[in-house]
Amino acid sequence: MTVASGVRARLRRPIAALVPVASALVVGFGVCGLIALWVGLSPSVMFDQLIRGAVEGPQFFETVARAVPLVGMTLAAAIPLRAGIVNLGADGQLALGGCAAAIVALYLPAPDGMRLAMALGAGMFVGAAYAALAAAGEIYAGVPLLLSTWLLTYPAKGLCGYLVRTPLRDPTTAWPSTARIAVGARLGHLLPGTPVNQGFLLIGVVAIAVIFIDRRTSVGFELRLRGLNERFARYGGVALHRQTLGVMVASGAIAGLVGAIMVLGSQFRYTDGALTAPQYSWSGTLAALLAGGEPLGSVIAAVLFAALQTGGFAMERSVEIPRVLTMVLQSIVILFLAMRGAIWKRS
Amino acid sequence: MAYLEMIDIVKRYPGVLANDHVELTVERGEIHAVMGENGAGKSTLMSILYGLQTPDEGYIRFKGSTVVLKSPLDAIAHGIGMVHQAFKLFESLTVWENVVYRREPRRGLFIDGARARAQVAELARRHGLPIDPRARVANLAVGVRQRLEILKALYRDAQVLILDEPTAVLTPAEVGTLFTVMKSLAAAGCTILLVTHKLNEVMAVSDRITVLRNGRVAERLVTADTTPDAIVRAMTGQHVTLQRPKQPREPGAPKLEARGLIVEQHGRRVVDDVSLTVCGGEIVGIAGVAGNGQSELIEALMGLTPIERGMVLIEGKDVTHGAVAAHRAAGVSYIAEDRARTASAATASATDNLAMGFHRAPPLARRGLLQPRAMRAWARGLIERFDIKIASTDTPVGTLSGGNLQKVVTARELAHDAAVLIAEQPTRGVDVGAIAFIHGELLKERERGHGILLVSAELSEILALADRILVMYEGRIVAEFARAAADEATLGLYMAGGSR
Repeated sequence: MTVASGVRARLRRPIAALVPVASALVVGFGVCGLIALWVGLSPSVMFDQLIRGAVEGPQFFETVARAVPLVGMTLAAAIPLRAGIVNLGADGQLALGGCAAAIVALYLPAPDGMRLAMALGAGMFVGAAYAALAAAGEIYAGVPLLLSTWLLTYPAKGLCGYLVRTPLRDPTTAWPSTARIAVGARLGHLLPGTPVNQGFLLIGVVAIAVIFIDRRTSVGFELRLRGLNERFARYGGVALHRQTLGVMVASGAIAGLVGAIMVLGSQFRYTDGALTAPQYSWSGTLAALLAGGEPLGSVIAAVLFAALQTGGFAMERSVEIPRVLTMVLQSIVILFLAMRGAIWKRS
Repeated sequence: MAYLEMIDIVKRYPGVLANDHVELTVERGEIHAVMGENGAGKSTLMSILYGLQTPDEGYIRFKGSTVVLKSPLDAIAHGIGMVHQAFKLFESLTVWENVVYRREPRRGLFIDGARARAQVAELARRHGLPIDPRARVANLAVGVRQRLEILKALYRDAQVLILDEPTAVLTPAEVGTLFTVMKSLAAAGCTILLVTHKLNEVMAVSDRITVLRNGRVAERLVTADTTPDAIVRAMTGQHVTLQRPKQPREPGAPKLEARGLIVEQHGRRVVDDVSLTVCGGEIVGIAGVAGNGQSELIEALMGLTPIERGMVLIEGKDVTHGAVAAHRAAGVSYIAEDRARTASAATASATDNLAMGFHRAPPLARRGLLQPRAMRAWARGLIERFDIKIASTDTPVGTLSGGNLQKVVTARELAHDAAVLIAEQPTRGVDVGAIAFIHGELLKERERGHGILLVSAELSEILALADRILVMYEGRIVAEFARAAADEATLGLYMAGGSR
């Protein structure tokens, strides 16, 4: 064993890990190009519009603005996934977090800045507490997290829907929603003239913290090794129950924070269904899956998905190519990555 | 021309040459032992013969013509059968159903059960393999299940029978029965390939021996003209002392105690009122045929399975209902039986595997932050001390041979320097050189005054190491001996559920 071979091995691994992702992307773009040809569209026009729509001029900031919640929801999915746990309830945690943030921002008798901070905190706390409920269900009653997180989504959405329909309803709006949050309790613009708000910084800090914890701390070590072999982690003395709880609390807090950021930063009220309609939690789960739960890779995948989605919208507007093609692209990429495992195992 | 020839077989795996121009020649009706350390290539060679792997180079000649075996179905069609170490049986079905599966005698659309049962009974009688065709597999003892596996192969007209480590799960008495069956099958013209690493068995039952080392044929021996020492030399390329002298030692204070342990699984008492004490400076061996509650007992002692009743004390501290973390904190380390699934993470690097359990405290972590440099240095230190053959500290341990992986696990657990060491099958499937090394390390632990609980299916291992021997049968401890008072025959009797 030499130093050189060790260094080479360490360099080789991340590069080797990127090869299947890159080839899946190539195949995905290729298939979408063929579909375009088949229906009589020009693939070059399509991809040109898609890429321009994602990064050209003001569209770049649209992508950044979309990436903020998407990266957040990706991290909410990636943290449990790293340990081999699936949190399918991020939508519920997101809605509750957003709703709680709206309530605090609207009704807490406190100075503006304080109200904003408390609203963000409330969003995180409620999201975390709701996720912890699912974790407790698994730890104390043996209800599988996969099931409980998913099913708990419906009561969460239902509760928020009831609140904005009945006690908190703003009668001046057509759609059930709360009143508008005062300017002082909103997240300000980060770059004037763009849709990017201060939520960018919050999610940025969270992303860096998650990546750091994953790579450099004992907590991250235990999480990663559980993901690689849960029996081994248990045998080695990792307190799995406590870890499950911690993972779900972190995941739920981030989902709740995303809800709070969406409410306080761009929508300024909690509107029934508005937080979950863009399906950030699904895109986030896919992005996290794409990177196998590794946080940096997940963040990169999330940004890529955000670009594809804004590009897709722009493409639809400008050349009337349905943006569902971008969803096809995402799906093919994921399917190819999933297939890779099987192909490699066989050879 | 020989009956069965494997000619110039080459099989490459990424980074490993598993079979390097191997030649195997077997005559009709002989019992031919294939020996070698772990990673020597014997499993690969047998997988090729059974059609589970295809060779990169070389070919197989059987009864004078070249055969191509793309799958076990091809092998079976040519009359080559295999009994794996882990049996492949439908537990919920009966003996005859397992035997005739996919070759059922039919009457119209239906299986002709009566004819099938008669055929199975006749086959069993002819080959001296007593078995009840109507018995459910789930209710059969391990030795009988093995008989059933052999019957399955014979029903498919196997003329060549590959037995992979067939005695690993048997009591001494069952081993004797198996050898009788093997000899009578051979006398009837059936050719048997015996894959094993047990010297005494090879000496007792085989006609000829092919020894593999590092993927090549190291030696071809005629059993009658060779000695165990010569075989070991061929396997390892060096001379290894198998037994080492052991100083008598006064046991110290109790380190590990179990009182009246009861563990229930699926409504069955798998550990039934077990009490035991392991003192400092003593090795307590648990003998028993696999599946008599040893694994469950160890899991209960480690906090891996819930305890119905009873108590576990480590250095006087009650850890009965704690999780593994509590046990380890109280001072126990544990070499788990299943090194690949439990005691390591195959896709994780050696650094990560060796750091597990040390990753929260200095020097590997400071204030919760990992120290990558210290982690690698720690791994390098253990790799050197235990002479683990590995490309680098970043290499995933799943790529290691069984013996090297066992060394990784042993290295990590011994590094804890804990008051109690539970060693479960610490040398299963490990090569002779590594066995001697691991035994030496266990004895050093004993010299340090630690208490060691050793579970092993190998009586020779227990007899070589233990100061005190407990025999487990059907979840209970049925006998206890001081080492001096124990011998293989007596232990074997209790292991089989007998008594004096």
